[in-house]
Amino acid sequence: MSKRSLALIAALLLGASLGSGGASAGSTLQPITVFAAASLTDVFPAIDRHETYSFGGSNTLAAQIAQGAPADVFAAANTAIPAALYAAGLVEKPVAFTRNTLVLVVPRSNPAGIHSVYDLENPGVTVDVAAPQVPVGAYTLQVLKQMGIEQQVLANVASEETDVRSVLAKVQLGQADAGFVYATDAKTVAGDVTVLKVPAWAQPKVTYAMAVVTRSRNQAAAKAFVAKVLSKAGQRVLARYGFLPLPQPVPGKPAMVGAADT
Amino acid sequence: MWRSSTRRAEAPPISPSLTRATLLSRAAKGGAAIAVAGSALGRLVGTAAADPLPDGDLAYARLLVTTELLAIDFYSRALAAGRAGPRLAKHLRLGQTPAGASDITYLYPRGTFAKEGAIAAFALTLENLMVGAYLGAVDGIQTPPLKVVAARIGASEAQHLAYLATIKGLASFEAFPNPLTIQQASNALDAYTA
Repeated sequence: MSKRSLALIAALLLGASLGSGGASAGSTLQPITVFAAASLTDVFPAIDRHETYSFGGSNTLAAQIAQGAPADVFAAANTAIPAALYAAGLVEKPVAFTRNTLVLVVPRSNPAGIHSVYDLENPGVTVDVAAPQVPVGAYTLQVLKQMGIEQQVLANVASEETDVRSVLAKVQLGQADAGFVYATDAKTVAGDVTVLKVPAWAQPKVTYAMAVVTRSRNQAAAKAFVAKVLSKAGQRVLARYGFLPLPQPVPGKPAMVGAADT
Repeated sequence: MWRSSTRRAEAPPISPSLTRATLLSRAAKGGAAIAVAGSALGRLVGTAAADPLPDGDLAYARLLVTTELLAIDFYSRALAAGRAGPRLAKHLRLGQTPAGASDITYLYPRGTFAKEGAIAAFALTLENLMVGAYLGAVDGIQTPPLKVVAARIGASEAQHLAYLATIKGLASFEAFPNPLTIQQASNALDAYTA
């Protein structure tokens, strides 16, 4: 693949900064390096504490892989980004491995008096969201559009973050009146924020997918990590952290993610 | 005549055969993906289906289809529980339509299906919610053909509500029912969906 096509893929996936990643240089040796969505920050080390992890926005991590960053496994908070990398030959066929739901979090003190997503339309409310290129940002837009309040709420957006944990931190610190995060992220700061429901009728389908990076020189270990996440033990850990199982799982035959599957 | 000839010419082509069963059946088919709920309702009218619906109308469509899916789920479970007497069972069968796959989990208060009285009480709560939601939709929806559909379904739900009230020995015509805003209807629905 030419540098030009790599740059194109990066631009398509990103629209975001192409900053340096936190991956270690030596990907040929154990432990492997896993590039994973920020929402997996707590659960992946609980599944396997021996690997080296780099957590961030899925789009940014994908761009880093496209630029040759030494990752062995890529795990994203959607299926579209891994599918795009697969189409570009940068990763092996992705596999879906868990699901999540979106929630609205407000500071414990709730100074803006927000009690439902509809309250985000109120004048003066400051809403924090992830950038639209980040999966949680795209899911946020989907929720607002499906509720018919996209324009009204976007007018109150004060900041766009690069990943879900940044949104959570802004709300936790009281720097924003509300923000959309995954239910699993909200659980990590349960004492600091109040969690409000996103209506079931407006929930996006949040499915995570992962893949072995094609140029990984430690394919066996990378595949073993993917298998570990998909295993019953791995799925139990995911469930313990609040992640949802895939619908109708077929033992031994995980759902494959195609290019058309978003 | 209160209708001018111009107004008559603009009248939307509404399906004359619209029934609750039709709606539930189509809603159930659309239920596999709430994203297509708008088209499920839109197919009930001619012109609305041809044009893209505003986001606000699609939001209403998603909400209303979800209430219908809740009704399908509740009516099916209530019948399966085998606790309903003949009059209530007859009514429940009116709402029993095979539902498609749904991503939504339906939640019921403890004991909802334990006794006929509890089933009838929840049915009343549900029909009150649906009447309010459809009345609110008549006001909130922008597309005229969909307003008419919402009004017709709302009238149908009101009949269900009156029948259930009679079974419970309550007055059927106690007051004019209040419309619910989409926010109020959504918040009410939140208690029964996840």
